[in-house]
Amino acid sequence: MSDLLFNTSLFDEFDRIQRQMSSLFSGLPSSIRASRLSTFPQINLGSTDDSVEIVAFAPGIDPAKLELTVDKGLLTISGERERVQPESEGRSYAQERFVGAFRRAIELPRDADPDNVKARYANGCLTISIGKRETSRPRTITIQ
Amino acid sequence: MNTQTQLAERNTGTVARKGDTQVQKGPAIVPAVDIYEDVHGITLWADLPGVSRDRLSVHVQDGNLLIEGEALIDTPEGLRLHHAEIREPCFARAFSLSADFDIAKIDANLSDGVLKLSIPRREEARPRRIEVSVG
Repeated sequence: MSDLLFNTSLFDEFDRIQRQMSSLFSGLPSSIRASRLSTFPQINLGSTDDSVEIVAFAPGIDPAKLELTVDKGLLTISGERERVQPESEGRSYAQERFVGAFRRAIELPRDADPDNVKARYANGCLTISIGKRETSRPRTITIQ
Repeated sequence: MNTQTQLAERNTGTVARKGDTQVQKGPAIVPAVDIYEDVHGITLWADLPGVSRDRLSVHVQDGNLLIEGEALIDTPEGLRLHHAEIREPCFARAFSLSADFDIAKIDANLSDGVLKLSIPRREEARPRRIEVSVG
């Protein structure tokens, strides 16, 4: 992978600051289907020969409040994360964690099969596995 | 209320780590945290998605609180990554704790990828109201 530049923790620190800054200016127009930097949940996407694999890093969410839909090749993950309520009066020093409603959409490759979707929520990660259509699997053709 | 308590963030950079006894495996994500203080102590929530209990370490040494975790996600064989917003599966963040916290009584709870740490104040460091008697 070409992540040479991103390998230092200094960049991680920049990334965090940038996320905070962008949340201040979130009113500015951004690309359609929202690609703000401060996206929640963060998503990794990969594929194997038989499936498309998506991981959404969404900690601290009640799985019952997560909604997953596939419509016309668009996979949408939406839900809401509530603010944790401290038990007693006090003061807050940091509020970096995401709070509120979220929605993320992923355009699925054409060969993804919307009837074959498996989703699992564990340790704050939503893992989605979408099967590929039989016809699109790679195959070797024997030469006669 | 005591304003002296410091839960200031420590430099988690690799330069600062070199002298440390702890071996840092590589770059890590700085997890987002919420920190809240009340009369009983400090409560800290940290987002650690994909980190299971056995891959999380919460460590207090020389007045430093160190949270380290490694995310592990089951992936099928032969996965090719196309797009990654989380590149490093490691999380690390350190804070310095002042002496008025009772490090022996820190309570840690991990659920759904969120770590909740309760760091109580020492009994003698709790704020108290002194009754003024009229006499």
